[in-house]
Amino acid sequence: MLQRNSYTWAGLGLLVTGLPVAAVAFFVLRLTWLTALGVSMLILSFVLLALSRTIPRLPPEVGGLLLETGVDNMAKIVEELGIKGKAIYLPSSLTGSKPQALIPLHANPALSRITKTLPQRLIIRHGSRPDDIGLLFSTVGSATFTLLETKPRPTSVGLESALTTLLAGTLGIADKTRVTCHQKLITVEVFNSRLENRTNWCHDCLGGPLASIVATVAAEAWDQPVTVKYEEQTGGKCLIELEVTGEDIQ
Amino acid sequence: MKIYNNYILILTIALLLTTVVLTALGRGSLGFLFTAYLLEAIIITELFVYFNTKVRRQLTFVGAVLFSVFLAYFTYRLIDILT
Repeated sequence: MLQRNSYTWAGLGLLVTGLPVAAVAFFVLRLTWLTALGVSMLILSFVLLALSRTIPRLPPEVGGLLLETGVDNMAKIVEELGIKGKAIYLPSSLTGSKPQALIPLHANPALSRITKTLPQRLIIRHGSRPDDIGLLFSTVGSATFTLLETKPRPTSVGLESALTTLLAGTLGIADKTRVTCHQKLITVEVFNSRLENRTNWCHDCLGGPLASIVATVAAEAWDQPVTVKYEEQTGGKCLIELEVTGEDIQ
Repeated sequence: MKIYNNYILILTIALLLTTVVLTALGRGSLGFLFTAYLLEAIIITELFVYFNTKVRRQLTFVGAVLFSVFLAYFTYRLIDILT
């Protein structure tokens, strides 16, 4: 039924005002322009009431608290283990469930290629060498990706469309995105971002929440592991550079 | 939800401007104005391509209700002309 939010109240207000305005203007005053104004108020009230049904019941502040708690716990684990390597965002085809992030325990530039599905555990072996051990985390991006209705196409336009739908249309945390691809690099610009990026050990390793979302969607689009190479936030604009660890993408 | 606010703002301005402009031009019949409102609502909704499926479904329902009102008015006018 009707949810109690500002859209509902605005819609009901316009409905209650528009109905008598249109009726009195049409039947009593016989003024077409005033009737039309009443009708347009009714149209807007229907639109507002329809939109009010799609607002999440959980306030954004609660979501923010849950996110902060999760990130804090993750930061403690990463910090205690002294991990300095960059996280690798894996597509669902390599994790067997949802897209996740793998943090290798030993920073190794020649990381062995992950070819088989990883087990669903916290500490996993991802290669044949003795030091190929890492932590498999669900990140903000893992949870956010489930909100996308279709898998993004592996092109810059496909990724841009998916990210704008997710960040602007569904989550409302940015206004638009721009994506450019060159060889193994994907550059994503997020405009008017409303998520603040704090700098701590965990963020150095996993990237900020926005970078996590962008890397997860990119990994899933190209179905290849992706790492966050660079991340910068200036004002409302966030610049994220990703590297695909497989073959060239364009 | 900034995208919702932008959508509502653009729709409100479009409906208000249509009323003012069409009344000033002397094309202020109620049927004509309602048709213009309906077209504007449908076009603006289609332009907001980044709405998710749930929102799009709700707005399609509103569009269908408005279109059925338009069809009822059209039928009424047709019967009026024929008789």
